[in-house]
Amino acid sequence: MHDLKVQIIAQLNLQDLTPEDIGDDQALFVEGLGLDSIDALELIVLLQQQYKIKLSNAEEGPKVFRSVRTMAEYITAHQPKA
Amino acid sequence: MRTDLYILSSAAVSPQESFELKDRYENIREYQGTKLTCIEPDYKNILDPKLIRRMSRVIRMGAATALQCMKSANRLEVDGIITGTAYGCLEDTITFLNRMVGNKEEMLTPTAFIQSTHNTVAAQIALLLKCNAYNNTFVQKSFSFEAALTDAVLLSREMENCVILTGAVDELTETSHAIISRFNKYRENVVSSKMCESPAAGTMAGEGAAFFLLSNQNHSGAIARLDGMSMLYDPGKIEDRKYWLNTFLDENDSRREDIGLILVGRNGDSSHDQLYPELESVFSPLANCFTYKNFCGEYPTSTSFAMWMATETIRTGTLPLYNQPFNLQDEKKKILLLSSDIHGHNSAFLLSSC
Repeated sequence: MHDLKVQIIAQLNLQDLTPEDIGDDQALFVEGLGLDSIDALELIVLLQQQYKIKLSNAEEGPKVFRSVRTMAEYITAHQPKA
Repeated sequence: MRTDLYILSSAAVSPQESFELKDRYENIREYQGTKLTCIEPDYKNILDPKLIRRMSRVIRMGAATALQCMKSANRLEVDGIITGTAYGCLEDTITFLNRMVGNKEEMLTPTAFIQSTHNTVAAQIALLLKCNAYNNTFVQKSFSFEAALTDAVLLSREMENCVILTGAVDELTETSHAIISRFNKYRENVVSSKMCESPAAGTMAGEGAAFFLLSNQNHSGAIARLDGMSMLYDPGKIEDRKYWLNTFLDENDSRREDIGLILVGRNGDSSHDQLYPELESVFSPLANCFTYKNFCGEYPTSTSFAMWMATETIRTGTLPLYNQPFNLQDEKKKILLLSSDIHGHNSAFLLSSC
């Protein structure tokens, strides 16, 4: 999850944050990190670029991007086998 | 064109220490090489850090300058936001295009694309001020700032007692500098402070942002008055330029002897600067001529930096960076800004105290 936090910080240009500042279960949107809809698109691209995972069902978005842990679980479950 | 606009405040980010208002701008930043780059403020003190992360350098420069301009006049609201930019948000455009090529037109992230349009700066200012009023951006090469001012004049004629935030912003990036360098527009081994004194082939590149709070009413605390402005596109002969300049002064009820200070757009390029002696001769030996591109470099909207220098001269009684006293108010003298871009298109501004 540390690596994923590093990738999120880089993708979203969260300059003042370190991976330690982001809790595993902390909400990413609204009251948590305060991300917005543009960030959601950036995270979708991050999944595609880094993990070759295409989020085809938009309704899954809120569940997948709820926290770093839910993102990591989704990646683990959907990452193509090498 | 008579503009009849009062300047309530001004602000500038430039290659000089211009962002904080001072009574005297004494420190001159010298640059050696082919370009002058902006001295930027600490944006974290001015802009919300959550917003900064999405803003490229030119957006930060423009937004911070606009907010500083509002702060100087103690204003929170405006009736219009009008910007001029020739290059727009180059850095984001380059980022987006590079990703398009690198990712084979797939998996493109939205931020760089959204922020790459020319009207991003004006839009960001509107978001920061929560301003739903008129918002427009003009992209007219080296007349971009003049076009924005023209629109401000037209808007001011439609509204009583309006306040309009008008400005210009252009950035220099590694890529844009490399591309323009290929046309041999820049010269090397020159010091910025000397570039206008020793003309040779080429000039130094520059960048900057400058904003002005303008009103058609003389509010208390107004700094200066923009009496008139004129543009001359693609003039043929020097006689045509002299005729244009004389007509501009006549239209603004100004005589040669009314001009106390002229800021000229010499940039040190010998082929460019050959225009100026004839134009300056219209006023010789009555007015003092000073250059401004030795402080900001050559860029399409550099007349906005010249207007900042003129406004600050009127406010402080001293020509910034030259530290030359000019008490224009007592002597009822005016300031003329006279510029020519790298293609020889001219613009002129007339400012006075109020």
